[in-house]
Amino acid sequence: MTIVRTRYAEVHPGLGDGADPVTTEIIRQGLNAAADQMKQSLIRTAFSPIIYEALDFAVAFYDADMCMLAQAPTLPAFMGTLGFCVREAVEGVGGPAALSPGDVILYNDPYGTGSHPQDAAMVVPIFHEDELVAYSAIKAHWLDIGGKDPYCTDTVDVYQEGTIFPGVKLYDAGRLVSDVYRMILANSRMPEMVIGDINAMVAGARTGAEALGALVRRHGLDTFRRCVARMYAHGEALVRGWFERLPDGVYQASSVIDSDGVNGTPIPFGVRVVVDGSSVTVDLTDCPDQVGGPVNCPLPSTVAAVRIAVAFLAGAGEQPNEGHFRPLELVTRLGSLFHPVKPAPCFMYGIPSDHAIELIIRALAEAVPGSAPAASGGDINALVWWGNREATGEPWADGAPHPVGQGASPLGDGASALMYISESATRFTPAEVWEARNPWRIERLALAEDSGGPGRHRGGLGLDLSFRILEDQYLTSGLARTALEPWGLKGGLPGRPNRLTVEYPDGRTEDFSLKTRIFLPKGSVVHLRTGSGGGYGPPEERDPEAVRADLREGYITREHAARHYPHAL
Amino acid sequence: MTTVIGVDVGGTFTDLVLHDAATGEIRVAKQPTTPSAPERGVLAAVDAAVPRDLLARCRHFVHGTTVGLNALLERRGATVGLITTAGFRDVLEIRRGDRDDPYDLFWTPPPPLVPRRLRLEVAERVAADGSVVRDLEPDDVRRAAEVFAAEGVDAVAIVLVNSYANPEHEKRAAELLTAAGFGGPISLSHEVSGEYREYERTCTTVVDAFVRHRMGPYLHNLDRELRERGFAGELLVTRSGGGALTLAEAAARPFETILSGPVAGAAATARLAASLRLGTAVAADVGGTSFDTALIEDGRLPLLYQGEVVGLPLQSPWVDVRSVGAGGGSVAYADAGGLLRVGPRSAGADPGPACYQRGGAEPTVTDAALHLGMIPRGHISGGIELSAEAAARALAPLAGPTGIDGVDAVAVGVIKIAAAHMAQAVRGVTVERGVDPRGAAVVAFGGAGPVFGCLLADELDVDTVVVPPNAGNFSAVGLVQADIVRSAARTMVRPLDDEALPLVERVARELFERLAQPGAVREVDLDLRHRGQEHTLTIPVRLGEDDVAAVSARFSEAYHRAFGHTLPDPLEIVTVRATGRVVLDTDRPMVPAPPSGEGGAGTTRLWSFRRGGWTEAPVVWREDLTGVAEGPLLVVEPTATTYVDAGFAAEAHASGCLMITRKDRP
Repeated sequence: MTIVRTRYAEVHPGLGDGADPVTTEIIRQGLNAAADQMKQSLIRTAFSPIIYEALDFAVAFYDADMCMLAQAPTLPAFMGTLGFCVREAVEGVGGPAALSPGDVILYNDPYGTGSHPQDAAMVVPIFHEDELVAYSAIKAHWLDIGGKDPYCTDTVDVYQEGTIFPGVKLYDAGRLVSDVYRMILANSRMPEMVIGDINAMVAGARTGAEALGALVRRHGLDTFRRCVARMYAHGEALVRGWFERLPDGVYQASSVIDSDGVNGTPIPFGVRVVVDGSSVTVDLTDCPDQVGGPVNCPLPSTVAAVRIAVAFLAGAGEQPNEGHFRPLELVTRLGSLFHPVKPAPCFMYGIPSDHAIELIIRALAEAVPGSAPAASGGDINALVWWGNREATGEPWADGAPHPVGQGASPLGDGASALMYISESATRFTPAEVWEARNPWRIERLALAEDSGGPGRHRGGLGLDLSFRILEDQYLTSGLARTALEPWGLKGGLPGRPNRLTVEYPDGRTEDFSLKTRIFLPKGSVVHLRTGSGGGYGPPEERDPEAVRADLREGYITREHAARHYPHAL
Repeated sequence: MTTVIGVDVGGTFTDLVLHDAATGEIRVAKQPTTPSAPERGVLAAVDAAVPRDLLARCRHFVHGTTVGLNALLERRGATVGLITTAGFRDVLEIRRGDRDDPYDLFWTPPPPLVPRRLRLEVAERVAADGSVVRDLEPDDVRRAAEVFAAEGVDAVAIVLVNSYANPEHEKRAAELLTAAGFGGPISLSHEVSGEYREYERTCTTVVDAFVRHRMGPYLHNLDRELRERGFAGELLVTRSGGGALTLAEAAARPFETILSGPVAGAAATARLAASLRLGTAVAADVGGTSFDTALIEDGRLPLLYQGEVVGLPLQSPWVDVRSVGAGGGSVAYADAGGLLRVGPRSAGADPGPACYQRGGAEPTVTDAALHLGMIPRGHISGGIELSAEAAARALAPLAGPTGIDGVDAVAVGVIKIAAAHMAQAVRGVTVERGVDPRGAAVVAFGGAGPVFGCLLADELDVDTVVVPPNAGNFSAVGLVQADIVRSAARTMVRPLDDEALPLVERVARELFERLAQPGAVREVDLDLRHRGQEHTLTIPVRLGEDDVAAVSARFSEAYHRAFGHTLPDPLEIVTVRATGRVVLDTDRPMVPAPPSGEGGAGTTRLWSFRRGGWTEAPVVWREDLTGVAEGPLLVVEPTATTYVDAGFAAEAHASGCLMITRKDRP
């Protein structure tokens, strides 16, 4: 059994000592602004709604030592994950010595990106007077790059999940490598969308590279390096300051993942968080060996999950850099669910990673009472749709996450219908845009009455969404947390889990959770009922006026009130 | 030339600017804002600064108001009822599922403007292509009317799914509601916005219904008061998208005025840039709490078609002015990790910077500028005595925790960081539109803008800084230059092909008919994109002249400029936009402020950022400046101070502007 400890120490100790604090602050702001420019460029030129609406991408800068200089806020799920893939991408093409200005490296090996092959990274080396000083990197979700299906919930190895580019030059010294380009297009079901997104990613990474290059020129390389070292030390000091406020101790929680998508058996796991002075260690060794279906979580995404959970609790209002991550250590077991070995399938890596985030937060709720809410619907409820248009035969595809109810907390009722926290910056698509684009009619887009977990504070409501299917098409359901009820805290009751029901034209109905390629004949109706939040505190302690207000506005029915809040009637 | 009065109600002060046709003179005045009844502050400013005979001669009274904004901020407006398509009652509350702060586990959206019990569904359905899937059920509307009557609803918003493609059901529902006895105002979503995205359109329509209740009475009341004082001209209200609306239009479409606050400064910059033929100009407005910037190309205002105010999206044109919390009152502090930080928190006007000595003890940008001699020690407008000692006292404690050596270095750091924040905001508005800021001229105004002009030039690598006349009140000058502008839009998703342009022409004709502006200059723009993309670029078209190839070429050029590449994919129209503009006056010269009468300049000790140390420098009154003066020097005027560093030269231009040129690069 191999236990792996992942942590990040200072790379050039003492380099930042004596760096000018004013210039350091100016460079820190400049890096964050440059990352934001890269993000805006990608959003505005991308073709795939998964990029421009769901913000399913990450943009960041790394220095020559592969330390993270800055990352623009997009999906929290991708926080700090690009380090592995920048390193692997550069190794893949022969190391830093093999790089020249104008290169763009393409990399999408799931064991380096942490996610599925659809999440492809572009890495651009940045030179200052012939010296390699940094990298700009973008990882974004392509609609399709081969694989047995456009979106897979039932793969048995990583080779079924998509074509893998293990670090290859897409541009060599500014010239497009057309052999690679043609291979990408030949392996995609939607080459035109992918071309558009490739162009957007290359343009974005180059925009970022130019902005960072200008920053280095303005301040000089020596000043830049020393200020960056001080910036990392600053980030580390901030996070250590937060951790010192947590009481030392060992905090634990455990839960169960519905299924691995192939074998159907539940997967129990636990988290153990050790707080010791200004350091925090998260242990994820209490989990099964890597499983046969695609819910294994490659190490980079496990690292990200831990960073997100801690960032939420530590109140990180700051854009993170490498320094913020130094006080954090992760313990995993090689060959396990949270540290699988190639070629274990991992397409749905987000399921264990999202689950771990909420469980770490639950464990730490004991360390800082009142710091954590009850469970939310707990999943992004990803649905992916595709088909060929009836009139033209043209292929189409769309995909989106959907919001869930949030857990109640000591502060008040949980919010209704917000994206799960790992995708908290994501917006879901307006029904009118969907209807203008896809062969659907949305029949219902509503809050689910009575769904919030009862408690002194009520859980947020889940969403009821019904799609009438106007042309034959396929659907892949990525739903998790369909069996486990969102937990309440301190006597609060659970909310409802996620559920997907297909109502066929002949009146037959069937429920799905993780399921690939569900055929939907014209006239079917797909009902998505997303999970709600758990309650906080005993329901009998709920303010009667709050119960009456919920009744008046129709968030709960009279029957629900009579069952859970008889004291208020 | 006509006499025009502009009055802009700000958070702290109500500014009045008067352009007198007889003398060509521009006059300014200030009164405290009276938030509970803003018209009192407006009228007090008029009574104090405008003689009755002049008011009687005044043709246009241009008003920038925050009444709509305040109604939203304070949540004081009409009790609104919403009628919507069956199945869509909760659109307003579900929003788009995102959070304002993605890292806040506990984030909760503000309560919707219409509570759930007043959001009522009617059976009906229109498809995205405009075809009717299910007819409107009249009884559902009648039932809604009963609920609204019982609940005391003042105003109703009707928002039906896909009404942008076919508005008949919305119109019919309004008729049924009126027939059922509802007597209040009704806002129809296809009239308010005409664009797709049901949450954003619902929100805009509800905001319209919510603020109309306050805006109409307020404007009519103000109009009456002005007329009692002898005013016989026309009351105009500034628009978020630039220009102004007539009183009747502003009362009918109040949501178009809500984001008008920072627009006047950008509009004034656009006029100035056009008259000086600046090509690319960057507005740099440094006020008490914020730095506002906008990119002006060829004298045109940068427009966006969706704004957001207090977390509520509005489908309405607005001028793309970006604000960052880096103004004179921005507070400097040492953070927990020992770095020096500036803003976004501001000491505001009260208590204000420490040097005001009105109870503020926290160090601000103004304190740093005063300490470094960038602002003359002595007085600023408003008669507040600035205390250099108080400024130094406030700055000194920042040295310890940051490890910065001494008060001078702290003050230099505060100014540099503030300038870096401003420069980043400028890079944001330029680079996002594919413009290299190095070719631009910086137009510096607002109380503290001219203090930062040279620092911004060095940060942005720009060679020209323009300080307009009346720099401290330049935003208000933008008010008296407004045209009457109206616009309307309709979403029409379809390929850009030979059949498309005649359709566009028809839609534009219908939109212009609705605008009903005789004598207006008509402009048509199309939101275009590559098929498959979501985000659009807005491209002007000349109907009757342009063919598809011409429009496509214009799009490609704009796309290349913004994103650095072009794509072969076919184009798609998303939205048709029609704008009518009535130009009120083309000839309004900018007249420099009259001499202040305060003579007595001299020399001062100031910090030169270029030289990295203290230096003796002349202080010159602006009206006394002739020929070219080399920096370092301070140019002072009643409402602003211009800091000219070594390496720069200032020249009084015939236009009344102070032109600052960078002689060498740092």
